[in-house]
Amino acid sequence: MSAEGQPNPRLEQAGASDEQLQRVHAILLREKPEPTEGYSPLPLALLGLMSALILFSAIYVGRYSGGFSPMVYDERMLPGMQGAAAPVVLDPRVLGKRVFTTNCIACHQTTGLGLPGIYPPLAGSEWAQGPEDRIIRIVLDGLSGPITVEEKQFNNTMPAFGPMLKDEQIADALTYVRSEWGNKAPPVSADKVKEIRAAVADHSGAWSPAELLKIP
Amino acid sequence: MNRGPLIFLGIFLALAFSWTGIVLTNQIQYGSLTPYYDANEGRTFPDKPSGLANQGRLVYQDLGCMYCHSQQVRRPGYGADEERGWGERQSVARDYIYEPRVFLGTMRTGPDLRNIGSRQPSTDWHYLHLYDPQLTSPGSIMPPFRFLYAYRKVAPGQASPLALKLPADYARQHGLDRPGYELVPTPRAEALVAYLLSLKDTYVFPEAKPYVPPKPAAGAK
Amino acid sequence: MASAPSLAASLHPATPTDTVPRAELSAIDASTKWPALVFIVSALVWLLIGTVFALIASFKMHSPEFLGNYEWLTFGRVRSAHLNAVIYGWSTNAAFAVAFWLMARLSRAALRHPGVLIVAACFWNLGVTIGVIGILAGDSTSIEWLEMPPYATPLLFVAYALVGAWAVITFRFRKSEHIYVSQWYILAALFWFPWLYSIAQIMLIFEPARGTVQALVNWWFAHNVLGLWFTPIGLAAAYYFIPKVLGKPIHSYYLSVLGFWSLAIFYNWAGVHHLIGGPVPAWVISAGIAASLMMVIPVVVTAVNHHLTMVGSFGALRTSPTLRFVVFGAVNYTLVSLTGSAMAIRSVNEITHFTHFTVGHAHEGMYAFFTMVMFGAIYYILPRLLLKEWPSAALIRAHFWCAAVGVTIYWVDLEIGGWIQGMQMNNPNIPFLEVVHNTLPYLVTRSVAGILMTIGHLAFAVNVAWMLAAKRPAGATAPTLFRSPPAMQAAPVR
Repeated sequence: MSAEGQPNPRLEQAGASDEQLQRVHAILLREKPEPTEGYSPLPLALLGLMSALILFSAIYVGRYSGGFSPMVYDERMLPGMQGAAAPVVLDPRVLGKRVFTTNCIACHQTTGLGLPGIYPPLAGSEWAQGPEDRIIRIVLDGLSGPITVEEKQFNNTMPAFGPMLKDEQIADALTYVRSEWGNKAPPVSADKVKEIRAAVADHSGAWSPAELLKIP
Repeated sequence: MNRGPLIFLGIFLALAFSWTGIVLTNQIQYGSLTPYYDANEGRTFPDKPSGLANQGRLVYQDLGCMYCHSQQVRRPGYGADEERGWGERQSVARDYIYEPRVFLGTMRTGPDLRNIGSRQPSTDWHYLHLYDPQLTSPGSIMPPFRFLYAYRKVAPGQASPLALKLPADYARQHGLDRPGYELVPTPRAEALVAYLLSLKDTYVFPEAKPYVPPKPAAGAK
Repeated sequence: MASAPSLAASLHPATPTDTVPRAELSAIDASTKWPALVFIVSALVWLLIGTVFALIASFKMHSPEFLGNYEWLTFGRVRSAHLNAVIYGWSTNAAFAVAFWLMARLSRAALRHPGVLIVAACFWNLGVTIGVIGILAGDSTSIEWLEMPPYATPLLFVAYALVGAWAVITFRFRKSEHIYVSQWYILAALFWFPWLYSIAQIMLIFEPARGTVQALVNWWFAHNVLGLWFTPIGLAAAYYFIPKVLGKPIHSYYLSVLGFWSLAIFYNWAGVHHLIGGPVPAWVISAGIAASLMMVIPVVVTAVNHHLTMVGSFGALRTSPTLRFVVFGAVNYTLVSLTGSAMAIRSVNEITHFTHFTVGHAHEGMYAFFTMVMFGAIYYILPRLLLKEWPSAALIRAHFWCAAVGVTIYWVDLEIGGWIQGMQMNNPNIPFLEVVHNTLPYLVTRSVAGILMTIGHLAFAVNVAWMLAAKRPAGATAPTLFRSPPAMQAAPVR
C-alpha cells in the first residue's frame, strides 16, 4: 500500500532515509489524534425549542396553504374558501359586437354611421330602434329598395344573413346595435328570432321597405 | 451511527421528501395548465407571443436581463407593486404557460417588467433606453447596450423608419451627428423590443381575482 | 478503530499515541496527494478568475459605463460568469478536494487509483471553462445557478460520477466501525448533488416544465446546492478540524445526529422561500417558509455543539490559522442561517425580497461561511500533502484579515443598503430612480470590500505558489502559525 517514492514510516522497510522519516514523523506526530465524539446528553431547552418550532410550523402550514390548491395564490385565503368558480355570465353585447364586427362593419362601419348616400346609419336610426319584427326580417332575408333613414334617402341592397348566422348571433348583434352609439331600444331575444325565422320561411328574396312598413 | 445502509436510506428519503413535495406534486397539480377560454371574448388567454417576440426572448436570455429585472407582480397589499403601476393584479402561473423559459427573476435593481408592454408601449422610448439608459432615465445604473445598434450610412432614399431620434446635443457630444448617417437598431434590438412590448398580463383569470378577506361582523368578538 | 487509545489520548495529551494509525495516516495522505493538489490548485485559479469577474460586475453596478461597450462583459453575462466561476470553479473544486481527503482519512482507507480522480478534475475544469466562456459568449441559459450552456454540462457529469464513485468506494473499504459525523455529511452531499443537478437539467433545459413549475424546480435545485452540497461539506470540515486542531472530542454525538437529520429533512424544503409572493401556489410557499423556520433547529444544534467543543480553548484561535478560518466560518454559518430563517417570514420578505439584502446574505453564506472554512481546510491539508510548511505567516495573516474584514463589510453593508432599498421600494411615493440613487453608496462600499477580499486572495495565491515552488526542507519542520503557542512543553497546537 505504499506510494512509490514517498517516505514510508514503517521502520522495517529499507529505503526510507532517516531525514525523510524525521520530517514525516514531525508533521504527523504533532497532529492531535483523529477526532472523536463525546456523549453529552441533549440540553432540555433545545428539545423545548424544537417542540415549539414544530408546533408553530404545523399551524402555519395548516392556516396559510389555501387548502393545498394549486389555484390559490393568496396565502390569506382560508382553506375551503376558494369555492366553485363563479358561473360564467355571457354578455350578449360583447358577443353581439363580435358578430357585428365580423359581418356588418363593411357597410355600416364600426361607428354605426354607414356611408352617406350609400349605406344607411344605425346610430340614432329609427329603423334600428324600431319594431324588432322589421329588423329581424331585414337581417334574415336582406333589404332592397328606397328607404328613408334619419330623413335621408338610400336605395341599395343589403344581403341576407339568415343562412349564415344562428338565431343567438342575430339576436346578440341586434341587441348590440340597439344599445350602442346612444341607441336606446330593448334587446332582441334568440327565441324571437327563431319565431320570425319560422314565420317567414315561405318568403323568398329580400324585403322591400314598403312591405316592412306594413308590419307593426 | 454505524450502519451505512441506514444512513443511505435516510439520506435518500430526505431528498425524496422534498423532490416529491416541491417538484413532483406541483408538476402533477399544475404542470399541465391549459390556456383559459373566455366564452365572451371567444378566444383563449394568455396571448401567444409573436415570432419576433420569441426571438427577443432569446436576446433577453443571452444578455442576462433577468438578473436585474423581475417579471412577477406581487399581490396588492404586499409590497407596492400595484401602486407603482407594475401590474393591476397578482401574477399567476397561467400567465407564464407560453414561455419556454420563465424569467421570474429575483432582483429589482431595475423595475419589474411583467407589464412593461402596457406600461411603456412606445418603441421609440425603448430604443433610446436600450441604447443609453441615461437618455430616458438620468441617473440609472442600467448598462448601455450600444452593441445592439449600428451607426451606418443612410442608403439613398432609404432612411430607416427605426432610426433613433437622439437629442441634438447628445448626438453632438457622442459623435453621432454625421450628416448622411443614422443610428439604427440591429435585428436583435428589434426583437428584444418586440419581446418587451409583448409583456402584458391584461386578462384576469378566475384564480387571479384579488382575494378580499371577509370583513369581521359588526360588533365581532 | 482503537477507540480506547484515542479516547485516552484525547483526555491525556501526554499519553504516547499509537504510531500505527499515524503511519497509516501518512500513507493515506500520500495516496490523496496528486488528486487533492490538482483540485486545490484548480480551485485557487478559479478563485482568482471569479474574483476578477466579481470586481468587474461590482464596478459596473455603480458605474455602468465601466467597460460598457464590450458585449461579452455586459453586466448580465459577467455577473453569471462570476457566479459560475466561484460556485462550480472555486467552491466545488475545493469541496471535492476536502471531501475525499477527509473521507480517506476518516475511513482510514487509502484512495485507490488516484489517477482517475485527476482525470475527473480535468473533465470538471474543462467543463467549467467551456461553460464560463459560453456564458460570456451569450449562451447563458438564464437559469439561476445553472447558467452554463448545455454543451458544457455533460463534462461535469462525467467528472462528478468519477468523484462520487471514488468517495463511496473509499468509504466502502473503511477500516473504522464507527462512522464519524463528517462522513455522514460528505456521503449525503455526494449523493444529493447529482440528484439535484440531473433533475434541474432535465426539467429546466432538456424537457422544460410548463410555466412556473420551472421556478419551483430552479429554486429547489439552487437552494439545495447551497444547503445540501456546500453546507454539508463545510460542516464536515468544521466537524473535523475543530476537534482535530484542539485535540478534544466533539461535545455531543447526540447533537451531531440531531443536527444532521434535521438539516437533511428541513433544508431541502426551504428553497421555495426564493419565491415568496410569486406566481406559485400559496401552499408550497408556506411549506418552504415553515421549513426555513425549522432550520433554526439544526443551526442552533450545530452552533451549540461547536461552541461547547471550543469552550476553554478559545486561546487556540490566536495561534492556529486553520482554526481561525474554520471557526470564523462556523460562526458565520450560524449567523447567516438565522438571518435566512428570519428572511423567510412573509413580512420580512416583503422588504428584503428583490433587494441587495439577498446578495449580502448569499455572500455571507458562500464566502463568510463556506469559503472561509475551505481556506482553513486548505491551510491544514496542503502541508500534509506536500510535506512542507507555509512559507509566510504574514501572508496568512494578511489573507485572514483582508478576507474576514472584507466579507464582513460586504454583507453588513449590503444588508443595510438592501433593507433601505426594500423599504423605499415599498413606498410608492419614492420614484424608482431615487431608490436606485440611494443604493449607490452601498454599492460603492461593496466594491471597496471586494478589493479588500481580492488582496486577501492574492496573499493566499502567493503563499500557495511559493509553497509549491519551495524545496522540501531537510529534517523536522514546525508548523506556520500566527504566533508561537504559549506552552512549548505540550505538543504545539496545529
